[in-house]
Amino acid sequence: MAELSDIQNETIRDEIEEYIERPAEIERTIGIFAQAQPLMQRIAAALLEGDHQLVDELAQQALNEGVEALEVMDFGLIAGMGIVGIKFRENFIFVPEVLACARAMKAGMAHIEPILSAAGVESQGLVVMGTVKGDLHDIGKNLCIMMLRGSGFEVVDLGVDTSADEFMDAVEEHKAPVMGMSALLTTTMPNMGKTIEAFIDADLRDDVQIMVGGAPVTQEFADDMGADGYGKDALACVDLAKSLVKA
Amino acid sequence: MADIDREEFQKRLDRISELFGNMVTHADAQASTRCPYRNRFDQCTAKFHCRNQRPPAEAEGELMCGHDGAFDYRAAWETDPESFEKAKAKIDKIKREAAHRRAAPDDTAEPHDSENQKP
Repeated sequence: MAELSDIQNETIRDEIEEYIERPAEIERTIGIFAQAQPLMQRIAAALLEGDHQLVDELAQQALNEGVEALEVMDFGLIAGMGIVGIKFRENFIFVPEVLACARAMKAGMAHIEPILSAAGVESQGLVVMGTVKGDLHDIGKNLCIMMLRGSGFEVVDLGVDTSADEFMDAVEEHKAPVMGMSALLTTTMPNMGKTIEAFIDADLRDDVQIMVGGAPVTQEFADDMGADGYGKDALACVDLAKSLVKA
Repeated sequence: MADIDREEFQKRLDRISELFGNMVTHADAQASTRCPYRNRFDQCTAKFHCRNQRPPAEAEGELMCGHDGAFDYRAAWETDPESFEKAKAKIDKIKREAAHRRAAPDDTAEPHDSENQKP
């Protein structure tokens, strides 16, 4: 059976010792990292620290050195994310840290995606996401984006305070089949309706499936605004995107 | 470098989806007593104003979160019927105006402005 001392990377050893308490999880995590190359351990350590630039460099280095993409995923990115999940569950870290780690994972996956394309592995589809004009809340949107990317979607993130024109430009530029709008305030929710009307005015409405979400949004509102779907949370967002991309 | 086997890649995607799905579920539960913009150092990462924001612990540091976790802060986000009805009325107005505009096109109406971009 592998032991903690079999793991070369000090950061990984410290993370396991300090944050993982369940014996089965300790054993599994040690088992994974004990067989991981030092470079994979460094990728995982950088991901745990939310260092997206370092994950970017190390993932590129690994692939350039001939490490298989699936190995980078298994022993670098996913292994690191596994510890993130444990730390989050046990409330050692919180949503901002999780999103930073997810960003680091995205940086690593960016080097793997061309390999996927070359192998004919296509993404689930492209989704344009943004928080509507006048609204600066983005946590829910960011969690949805994390879930969408984790499920194999390509996502264009327009950020917050996104105008109808910006949504339209992105959908046209990327030929996005699906677009998602988020709003956290009842005062900004109507801007979802405005954006949908703008798409109709510009003759773009039939080119894209539009989903909406956010704390004050309901199915009734979504229907009133003319959206194609409503997702109550990030998990529902992914299921909805999967159904809309086929529509 | 060998091509990626699709089935093997899908297994990895499924594992990632499982990890993220668990995190999203936990985030929802955690959010009942802790604002999701509050990081592990109790700093505020929000880019908007919140009444719970406090001065930073260090001179050049981030704002701190002053929420005491004793109540579900989301009650402040809950839509009260009046504001909900106002939003609904606004959406109805937007749709009526759009329908009117399309029924009687105005030659002076501005075209789709693709230059209106965020920096």
